[in-house]
Order: sequence, then structure tokens, then C-alpha cells
Amino acid sequence: MSQILARLFPPQTRRPDEVVIEIGIVLSMLFLVYMLTRLKKWGWLWREWLTSVDHKKIGIMYLVSALLMLFRGGVDALMIRSQLALPNNHLLPVGQYDELFTTHGTIMIFFMAMPFLFALFNVAIPLMIGARDVAFPRLNAISFWLFAAGAILFNISFVVGGSPNAGWTAYPPLTELRFNPGVGENYYLVSLLIAGIGTTITGINFMTTILRMRAPGMTLMRMPMFVWTVLVTGALIVFAFPPLTIALLLTLLDRLFGSSFFTLGHGGMPMQFVNLFWLFGHPEVYIVVLPAFGIFSEVVPVFSDKKLFGYPAMVGSVLAITLLSYVVWVHHFFTMGAGPSVNAFFGVSTMLIAIPTGVKIFNWVLTMWGGRIRFTVAMLWQLAFIPAFLVAGATGVLLATVPVDYQMHNSYFLIAHFHLALIGGTVFGVLSGMYYWWPKMFGFMLNERQGKWAFWIFVSGFFVTFVPQYMLGFEGMTRRMYTYPAGLGWGPLNMVSTIGAFVQGLGFLVLVYNVLWSMRYGERDLTGDPWNGRTLEWSLPSPAPSYNFAVIPAVTHRDEWWEMKQSGKARAYKVKSSAIRPIHMPKRSAMPFFLGVSFFVVGFGMVFSWWVITIIGALGVIASLLFSAFDYNDSEEIDPEDVRRSEASLGRLEI
Amino acid sequence: MADRLYPSHGTGAMNQVELVENEDSIEISSLAPHFAVHKFPWRQVFGYVASLVLTAMAFILVINHVLPVSALVSVVIALAVLQAAVQLGVFMHLRESRGMAWQILVLGLGGFIALCVVAGSIWIMMFKSGVA
Repeated sequence: MSQILARLFPPQTRRPDEVVIEIGIVLSMLFLVYMLTRLKKWGWLWREWLTSVDHKKIGIMYLVSALLMLFRGGVDALMIRSQLALPNNHLLPVGQYDELFTTHGTIMIFFMAMPFLFALFNVAIPLMIGARDVAFPRLNAISFWLFAAGAILFNISFVVGGSPNAGWTAYPPLTELRFNPGVGENYYLVSLLIAGIGTTITGINFMTTILRMRAPGMTLMRMPMFVWTVLVTGALIVFAFPPLTIALLLTLLDRLFGSSFFTLGHGGMPMQFVNLFWLFGHPEVYIVVLPAFGIFSEVVPVFSDKKLFGYPAMVGSVLAITLLSYVVWVHHFFTMGAGPSVNAFFGVSTMLIAIPTGVKIFNWVLTMWGGRIRFTVAMLWQLAFIPAFLVAGATGVLLATVPVDYQMHNSYFLIAHFHLALIGGTVFGVLSGMYYWWPKMFGFMLNERQGKWAFWIFVSGFFVTFVPQYMLGFEGMTRRMYTYPAGLGWGPLNMVSTIGAFVQGLGFLVLVYNVLWSMRYGERDLTGDPWNGRTLEWSLPSPAPSYNFAVIPAVTHRDEWWEMKQSGKARAYKVKSSAIRPIHMPKRSAMPFFLGVSFFVVGFGMVFSWWVITIIGALGVIASLLFSAFDYNDSEEIDPEDVRRSEASLGRLEI
Repeated sequence: MADRLYPSHGTGAMNQVELVENEDSIEISSLAPHFAVHKFPWRQVFGYVASLVLTAMAFILVINHVLPVSALVSVVIALAVLQAAVQLGVFMHLRESRGMAWQILVLGLGGFIALCVVAGSIWIMMFKSGVA
């Protein structure tokens, strides 16, 4: 018994700050249970959310999870910056610092950026292409619950068993069992494997949805730009995740079963892990940034009152980026020393990516050119993205120059580069998308004035944090450094950077306040088209009814809804009563939730090598899958009368 | 039948719109018969068993070092290609054409990426022979 307790709660889970956080988690869970019981909301939670297969609700669940993870990853970042604020600082123990930079990176990429994007995929894509749901609604729910199982497993690591501590890249031999005996790395490997299954399914699901379920008349070249970027992101996910899965699986075999794929001894090849990891890792960068490009391509035309400039060039550049993203991965490890010819090839291919990306930047700017720009919050995030991404891209090309990279590799110059790219690209993108589609998700607007406060605070903090880090990189400060002596002159720049990080934290708090305030007092969106939008989702009421389109529209133009409004035919989107037919919709199902729970149990057992628990979980997985395979009663028909009643109550029925 | 397969489309889309010449209606009509047949899925059972056997063979060959290294690698690659063929033929609907044959396009992309990944990895990891 005491042995089990010692494994569950090793010393690194009993640091004072963590005990405080653990008590806080337990108390807030108890409060949540109490509130749900008191308000009698358990049934509601189960029927409306946990068992839902509705893409709009799954999207909202992704959004809530992503915001929670942004908070967790952000707190990690603030702790890192606090430790680095002063020279010779020992605010945090060494081990904890390693754990923090590991969980910060992993959470921000896998459990914040990706679910945030999936939230927007789910919310917007079916509505934009005129579909009633995604191609595989139940698989979509499975994706979410596998992501949730992985995310929860990863997040409990610092409470139970100890956090991973080998960096988000988890290079061997840092992860090798004899150098890293705790269970932390098992958590990293298992949770990413589970979440990775969900991500792969999401990629397949949205690719299929977009290729197969567009409304009649919506040809590929009439798809909104966001749909294009999600399509290629699906392809990127499908091809990028297998190398990661293999790399993680082989590392797990090394750690749990004594194989030697990546070990230092017994003929293992640690560098092969690095190669496989970045085979995934570089496309991953585009997985998180291309949809953000798509969001900007929706936001810019709407708030510039102009159609997107150079649509075919935009499509072409997205496809070029997709192909090129598979032939650049070595630029993450030039210093491995694979030889001049290898490095030269991958340096040049990396620089090539700047061309299609540049095309996109020009197209956004030219879309705004001569337009009537409205400075809404969604648009402001886009405007801040352009300079941030330009700097990130230019410094990226510097890093692609191999001799320069030998100087800059793993310095703060690199840290500044990818934070500018990932925050400036992905985070600004998802926040822009969140403000843009929020009324469509919830039926009310986020307060613009508070949103602008959040924007200005966050963006100023962002530049204050990361611009000094470029200079620190030039002065030789390296990544993942626990502390530094006073004489090097790094103190002031680090202090400025830390102040900037806290300003960003303040910006996030204002954003949360903005959401909470707007939930209570926010302006209702009664028109369904608050921004004077251009694409089909704005032809629907906010929030859209469960079946989305009472009658599937026939598309004749690229910006279909805009064209309808221009030609005065928007009324045609009022539904004719006689045109309403019975609608087939997927039924809600508890199976995805149970599958997620079972995978969590499997994962937890594997982390501690407690095989009985793993087998119990595996039986749950098999049972869920079997149940689903023989469950033929998975769809239902909505009575046309119900549709008529609901459309009439929304004021959209034409008799 | 078609509605059951594509619940989210419903009948509304197909019947209301004048232009019936849309991709989806063709797809659904050409697809439905494939799934409408209710006989025992022998092909799938065969594919399942075959993929298990192929995997086990590769594993046993490697774990027991039955062959010299270069021959072993060749055999394992051959088994992998067979495995891919079984997966694509039996489970991945490769032989079903429905309107536009997207699977061929995506398969081409997959082939390109697989080539980049395998050839690139070999090229990159060759440095090891130089430093070992």
C-alpha cells in the first residue's frame, strides 16, 4: 500500500505550490458537483453535451477545453518567466523548471492550439459548406473524447506520479528509462498517443466532409478560403501523425518493455527519433497555422467590404505550402550534422516556403487596399498578425540559412522566432475566429470595447515579451536554461520580457472578463448576420438550429450569401413551408464518452505499468466498439412539422 | 437507404433543388448498392486475418533473426507492401468509385509523402555511417 502511494505521489508532486493547486482543484471540482446537483443539471449535461454528436456542441466543448488549457499553459509560462526574471534566481526548484517548460510546450501545441482550431472547424465548416453535420458525426464525438482523455491524462501528471520533464520534443536519451526513471515521460507518450488517435480521426472526418458534403453547386473553387485550408490541414494531419505515433510508440516500447530503438546502447539510434519527430513536427506547424490563415481570409474580406483578393493564388499557395511542408523537416536539426548536401537541400526548401506565404500576406493586404475597413476585434487580431508573422517569417528565413543556424540553434533567437509565429499566427488567428464566429456559436455578441482592451493589452505584452528575446538570443542565452549569472548583462532584457509576459496574462484575464460579462449583458444577435457576412453560415439564425439548414441551399457563387444579398434575393433563404422534408439526423450516443473513459483507464494503467487496470480499460474499449458496430439505431428523422415550427419561431418560414 | 447512409444530407437537398446534376446525388446512388448487400463479410474477415498473419510473420522473422540482415530487410519491406495492398483493397474502399475518384488523388499525395519520408530519412541518417 505505502509502495503504491509512493509511486502515485513521489516528492515532486508534494512541492508546496503544487499542494496548494491540488487543494484548489479538489475544491473547485466539489463546487462544480455541488452546483450541478443543486441546479439539477446532471441530466442536461449528459443529454445536451456529454452524449451529443452535434458538430456545433462538440465545437463548443473543444473551445471550452482549449481556453482552460490556454490558462494552464499560460500559468506554466508565467512561472518560467518568473524564474528567469533575475540572474541567479532560485524561485523554482531545478526539476520543477524542467517540468514547466515541458508541459508548457506540450499543452500549448497539442491541447490548446489544436483543439482551439478543431473548435472552429466544428463550428464553422458544416455551416459554410451547407451541410447538416460532418460526414461521420459519431466519430467526431469520439475524436473529442479521445482528445479529452489524453488532455486529462497529461494534466493530472503533476498531481499523480510526476510531470514529464524532457521538453515538448522528448528527445532520447533524455527520455531513456535509465536516465529518466519516473512515470512522467510515460504520461507524455501515452496521452499524446491517445489524443493523436482523435486528431487523426478529425483530419479524416473533415477531409471527407469537405470533399463529399458540400451543398449542390459549391464547386471546389467556390469554397470559402477557410474550407480550403481545413481541407489541406486534414491531409496534413493524416500524413503527419503516423511518424509521431510510431516515434512515441517505439519510445514507449523502449521504456516499458526494454526494447532498444532509441537507446544509447544496444544499437539504438536516438537521432532517428529526432528525425521521426520532426517529420511530424514540421507539418504540425502548418497544421496549426494554415487554418489560422483561412480564418484571416474570411475575416479580412468581411471587414474590408471587399471580396478576397487573388482567390486562385491563395488556393495555389496553400497547396504549395502543403507539399513543401513535407520536405523541410531537417531545418529543426541542422546541427545534427547530416552533412553539407543534406543541410543545403533542406535550407533551400525551407526558404522556398517564404514565397507562397509572402503571396498570402500580399493578398490580405491587397484585399484591405481600398476597402472600407471596420476595426472590429476580429479584424484587429488580423491586423496585429501581419507584422508579427512578417517578423517571425523573416527571422525564420535567417534560421534556414545553415551557417547562421549553427550560431542560433536553440538560442532565445529561435524561441522568439517560433513564439512570434505561433502566437502571432495561430493564437491571433483563433482569437480572431473566436470573436468572429462567437455570435454564430452562442447567439450573442462579445462586447467590442472590452475585446479591444483585451486585444491592446495582450498585443503590447506580446511584443514586449518576445522582441527582447531576439536580442537575448544574439547575446548567447540558450533555450531551457534554468538560471544565469549576473555578469552577462542578460538581466534587464529578461526582466522586460517577464513584465511583457505578465501583461499578456492580464490581457487574457480581460478576455475572460469580456466573455463572462457578455454572457450576462452581451447584445443578442437576432439577425444571424451581425457582421454583414459573405458566406453561408451567416444566412442561418444564431445559433443555428440542430439541423442547420431546413432546406439545403443551391450555391451559384463563391461568396454565396453576399451575392444573394447584393441581388436582393436574400429573402430566397426564407424557407418555403412546402419545401421542408423530413430531415435525417444522427442520434446522440453515449458510446464516444465511454470510449474516452476506457482509453483514459488504459492509459493510466500503462503509465504505471499496472496491467490489470490496462486490461480492464481495454475491455471497455472493445465493448464500446462492439456496441457501436451493432448499433443500427443510430439516426433519427425530424418531423417536417417540428422543422416548420422551429423555423417559424425563428421568423424564417414563408408560407 | 441512401438517406440512412448520409443522414446529414437528408432528402431536402436532393428534391428541392432544380439542378439534380450535382455530384452528391450521383455519388449516393452509386454508393448505396455496395452497402445494401447483407451477406456475411468474408472479404473483410479474410483481410483481418491476413493483416494479422502478415504482421506476425514480420515480427517472428525479426525477433528470431532468421535471415541475414539485408535479406531480412527486403523480406520485411515485401511484407509491408503486401500489408498495404491488403489494407487498401479490403478496408479502404479503393475499388469503389463514386463520382470523382478522390481516393486516387489522395493516394498519389500519400505516395509522394511516403517517398519523401523514406528516401529522405535514409539520406539524412546516412551520416551515421560516416561518424560511427
